[in-house]
Amino acid sequence: MSEPNLRIRGLSKSFGGVRALDGVDLTVPAGQVHALLGHNGAGKSTLIKCLGGAFPPDAGTIEVGGARYTQLSPRESIAAGVAIIFQTLSVVDSLTVAENIFLGQEWTKYGRIDRRAQEEVAAGLLQRVAASCSPRDRVGELPMGQRQLVEIAKALSRSASVLVLDEPTAALSGAESGALAERVEDLRAQGLAIVYVTHLLAEVERLADAVTVLRDGRVTHHSPVSGQTRRELVDAIVGRPDPLPPITAVGGTGDEPRTATERGIALGSSHDRAHGVPPAARLTVDGLCGPGFGPVDVRVAEGEIVGLYGLIGSGRTRILETLFGRRRASGGTVRVRDRAIVAARPADALAAGFALVPADRRRQGLFPGLSAHDNALLPTVRPLARAGVRALGAERRIFGALSDAVGLRPARPRLPAAAFSGGNQQKLVLGRWINEARSVDVLLLDEPTQGVDVGARQEIYQVVSTLAAQQGTAVLFASSDPEEVVALAHRCLIISAGRIVGELSGAELTEAALLSAVHDADAAPKTTPSEGAA
Amino acid sequence: MTTATTTPADHLSPGLRAAGSGLNTMRRHPLLLVLALMVLVFQLTTGSFLDAGNLRGIATDAATLAIVAVPLALLVVSGYLDLSVGSTLALGGLVAGWLAGQQHQSPVVAVLGALAAGAAVGAVNGILCCHLGLSAFIVTLAMLAAVRGLAQQLFPLPLSSFGSGFAWLGGARIAGIDAPVVIAALVLVAGALFLAFTPAGRHVFAIGVNREAAYLSGINIRRAPFALFVVTGVAAALAGAIKASVLDSVVAGTSGAGFELTVLTAVLLGGVALTGGSGSVFGVLLGVLFLGCLQNGLTLLNVPTFWQQMAQGVALVAGAALASFGPRLTR
Repeated sequence: MSEPNLRIRGLSKSFGGVRALDGVDLTVPAGQVHALLGHNGAGKSTLIKCLGGAFPPDAGTIEVGGARYTQLSPRESIAAGVAIIFQTLSVVDSLTVAENIFLGQEWTKYGRIDRRAQEEVAAGLLQRVAASCSPRDRVGELPMGQRQLVEIAKALSRSASVLVLDEPTAALSGAESGALAERVEDLRAQGLAIVYVTHLLAEVERLADAVTVLRDGRVTHHSPVSGQTRRELVDAIVGRPDPLPPITAVGGTGDEPRTATERGIALGSSHDRAHGVPPAARLTVDGLCGPGFGPVDVRVAEGEIVGLYGLIGSGRTRILETLFGRRRASGGTVRVRDRAIVAARPADALAAGFALVPADRRRQGLFPGLSAHDNALLPTVRPLARAGVRALGAERRIFGALSDAVGLRPARPRLPAAAFSGGNQQKLVLGRWINEARSVDVLLLDEPTQGVDVGARQEIYQVVSTLAAQQGTAVLFASSDPEEVVALAHRCLIISAGRIVGELSGAELTEAALLSAVHDADAAPKTTPSEGAA
Repeated sequence: MTTATTTPADHLSPGLRAAGSGLNTMRRHPLLLVLALMVLVFQLTTGSFLDAGNLRGIATDAATLAIVAVPLALLVVSGYLDLSVGSTLALGGLVAGWLAGQQHQSPVVAVLGALAAGAAVGAVNGILCCHLGLSAFIVTLAMLAAVRGLAQQLFPLPLSSFGSGFAWLGGARIAGIDAPVVIAALVLVAGALFLAFTPAGRHVFAIGVNREAAYLSGINIRRAPFALFVVTGVAAALAGAIKASVLDSVVAGTSGAGFELTVLTAVLLGGVALTGGSGSVFGVLLGVLFLGCLQNGLTLLNVPTFWQQMAQGVALVAGAALASFGPRLTR
């Protein structure tokens, strides 16, 4: 066992012109937990997917258990002993625990599935991961933490030697997270090489033997964990005051302001926090609650951009979707310009002056097969129509204006939305609400730049900032990316477990502060149960 | 503004652009080429395929198909489906025939009665599918059986002799063209105008492509599909009344049997995606003409009915294969 279980060397991968991975090295010996840190888009997912065989790397090698590969198919990856537990688990809800564990490698006797033998072996595996469920339980009826353990048991049944956990605690409760940490320690003791992807520095300190930080596809930090200060890790994640790519479309000079405040669109003295709540509140939310979150109070002033920062599962999306009428609120009041709003459906919220750019563009935002024109103007076609007939001239004029405003490329109205890059697709969805035919009082953005390349990201920030500054639109956006929050928000609310646990603004609003705020909010309750065990 | 609307094609000369758009139409509707070839082959083999009398027959046959295919296609574009049109067609014909023949009502009343019956069937489909969210496949499959049963219960005996006034619907000629063909042409034009020039036409596509995104865009995702269910029912009943008028008789058990699958075949051949979100009225016209010509040509060639049905099946699979592999081959 002198050879490390996993050795990745010089791994590179580009998508189009974007280098997602650039010569990444990662070595994990047996019996070690290696933490992988980095922003969204830093390359963590791409690295995992290359390891799992989802993408072929452009260059570099992956060695698993002594065998060297330049690329892997998903099947080869499993056969080599790699098991990846993604955030969205791949268990089948309608099957039992044992059936899930042996899915695709069923034990048979006389051509029939040998349930008894499977269940016996499954029980042993479940014991190894200290799961409390029975092999006969239906997976759909189990809590998230148990489902995750079932998936880990499945990995063990395939005698995996490399286990990759992708933000495993993101969807778990505090107690479940503590239990998972113990399982990870057990598995390390059993000799697995574990790659642990996380945003939480406390988990790194508690579990990891070594840590690698990715930034823009490169390794910016690599060290054993002992003697590690949090400060160094944060610096490695955030990077030095970074040279942002020049903004070409909006007339930038390349020397761009980094934060919303530096953009010169900071709010005036009305936003002075010394005076408490800004006087011209555009959006006032009091005691809003619903399944999984609340009560939540939010105030967004005219022209103010407020971030909701928190990890996946913290309730950010639910809050936005409830404001937009996609989910039912169980209590609380929402006021826009001092009018009380009750939005039972998105159409009501739109009529009240809300607009939402959802996080899941493919599923909730885009009409892939329809033209750019249709995508940007769908909700506007009816209001523009005269006597039931579309005003095609007006539609074209508005499309032209909005495509200039958001910097759509290529600016071709008839091209199907599916043919645009992620960034330009997002500009289409954004343009749907930002045009002269619509008056949006409150713009809700959920992960506004998910799957958007760096250049388009800056343009989108600029468009949103300009909208807030010029039209006085109140902007409330959810993000799990500290870099984004600092770049876009005037003020940021920290969300954890469905509640607002902190607020940062002005000079306090830095990436380091956000990272440690989430640490304080999330890690503290989650590590409590394990401290008792340690 | 100019940058937003300029495409490479705009810089070409008008002649080249016309040729380009012709090519483009060809690429989007490969059926056009197949149809042209088929017409040529039938003309060469039969020698009488393109005679005025034969073409008139094809047009009349295709007319009832087109009248139902257009609203059905729009329904499929919006992500739904209606399998009950064959039975609705029978019910419409029976109601119209009963009112005109048995009750001696005016032809206008007879046709309106049929349309009302069709609207009722469509409304039931629409409520169950759009408002209660049941599967359109299951609901309309059930309605296919239920409406046929209802028709047979209400009109156990064959109806015939509807009078000369009612015969006008199927037999009159308007400017030398048969009334059903004129009605079908109106339906086709209305369908195309609806898709291109009304907000609801855009909404139909949006709902078919991505219901969730349409809902989050504030579009009423029930209204347009519900209306299309009603219109499809009305169209099927109208087609039934036309058939009753042409034949001067209706039999509850057999009228329109299998019609739902023929219409669906035409719609799918016309390039409408069963998964919703894409399709065009021009494509539907091609699908209808293709089926009409195929049937007529094979009949002229004395090909037995069974072989004709097989040809229809082969055409549909070939069409699906072309739609699936064609884009890859041309790339």
